[in-house]
Amino acid sequence: MKNNKNKTYIDSTHTWGRIFSVSAVCVLLMVPVAICIKYDAWPSFNQVFKGLLKVIPIFWTTQILEILVYSPMLGTGATYLSFVTGNVTNLKLPCVLNARETAKTKPNTEEDEIVSTIATATSAIVTTVILAVGVIALSPILPKITAEDSFFAPAFKQVLPALFGALGAGYLIKHWRLSFVPVITAVVILIFDGNMGTGTLIPICVVVSIIGAYIMYISGFLTGGVKPKNPLKK
Amino acid sequence: MQDLFYYAGGEFMDFKENGFMYGLAVVVVLFVIGQSIFFMVRAFRQGKKIGISVKTMRSVIMSSTLFTIAPAIAILATVVTLAGTLGIVLPWIRLTVVGNLQYEVTAAQAALESFKDGQSIAVFGQNIKDPRIFSAVSWVMTVGIIFGLILLPLVLKRLQNKIGKIRSETNDSRFGDIISAATFIGLVSAFIGNAIAGKAPTIKENGKILPVGMGAGIMSVAVLITSILVVVALQLLCKKFKWEKFEVFVLPIGMFAGMAMAILLSNVLPESISMLEWRPAT
Repeated sequence: MKNNKNKTYIDSTHTWGRIFSVSAVCVLLMVPVAICIKYDAWPSFNQVFKGLLKVIPIFWTTQILEILVYSPMLGTGATYLSFVTGNVTNLKLPCVLNARETAKTKPNTEEDEIVSTIATATSAIVTTVILAVGVIALSPILPKITAEDSFFAPAFKQVLPALFGALGAGYLIKHWRLSFVPVITAVVILIFDGNMGTGTLIPICVVVSIIGAYIMYISGFLTGGVKPKNPLKK
Repeated sequence: MQDLFYYAGGEFMDFKENGFMYGLAVVVVLFVIGQSIFFMVRAFRQGKKIGISVKTMRSVIMSSTLFTIAPAIAILATVVTLAGTLGIVLPWIRLTVVGNLQYEVTAAQAALESFKDGQSIAVFGQNIKDPRIFSAVSWVMTVGIIFGLILLPLVLKRLQNKIGKIRSETNDSRFGDIISAATFIGLVSAFIGNAIAGKAPTIKENGKILPVGMGAGIMSVAVLITSILVVVALQLLCKKFKWEKFEVFVLPIGMFAGMAMAILLSNVLPESISMLEWRPAT
């Protein structure tokens, strides 16, 4: 019975997610269309196409990778929400991981799905409100807060190490055996190519981490020396 | 074609920041908030149905709010960075929906370069004065990022069904938990690696390559270590003294502690040390 309910909830999440994704595409496209109509300023197809040629090969590929890598981590509702509201790696995913720690849910359960959706929705609302208040009410003082020489500037430059340090602490200590391989891999890759974007580095680290975990598991390294049955062998 | 500024109500208005543009932004903001509230209410109701306590779900909301504040302010700083070229409203719209600094700058720059036709050369960093260039930039920014949203409704259900099937075939819950943890550790590792050995990302502004933020160095490692230590210490205290209500605040406090360390170091240490990057942008 619970399974049927679960299926119904997930199925209807897919239905609503699809409706909102299509609506989001329309809302997004509305912006350039409205600008063109209002200012009677239609650029030529060639000018837009030339610009897109430089962007599409990199960013469309990244978007395919993002769906493949992040959707299993986020869950259904959170994926639909995250891909509309953006900032997936630097905000939505950390928020989901934090929420799961808070609620102590088990991975891949319906509880996990619910908590992830609530966390992502909260994060999207808070970000949207902060941006709106910041732009409308704080525009005169905003440049002073975020300027290169402001008191707070060093903190804003270090948001990601602070965020992932806090988030990683629990995981790294709880699963320290699993952590060595991906962390060392990331550092070694960056020593050779320091300019590699996180968009490329994350899928590499995730794959390496999973392969490392699989090898450690079947070799008994994670189970006190007792070799478990290979879960991928039928 | 209209001019950059027009006279309205006794003052000169920038076409990129007038009431019309703010109106567009309000539509986008209402859509995003509406969608988020809709999904949250559904999840909350379903959570109650399957027995998740309201207290737990409220904790998730509280903790997620705290966890979002600092990164959201950093995104706000991105809006300010882009505002010099695009006005404040278009970056606000772009970063309310899918988008991030590097993508938006790359897309804007690509669109601007397509106008190098001898008539109106523009580069990122200059204030856009031509509505035609402005509209081209908005088209490239939008179409360049829209693919994921088109793809998602077509593939997500199938993708998740496939993953679910693989999970059920393995029939080993302990292995499933380990792989799930390994996936998250892979994600976290990329950012930890960046704090230890990554170079600062760069953008092209006024024809020059400029770093955005800082590369790995004293500051990034000190911030990383501070947040890790603070979280570990607070988690131990929570466990020892059974501070269950305080647990929600542990990760956000760890993050703020890391950021506070950055401010402290930049004020206490000489600049040559605090700003030392062993991986400066190239």
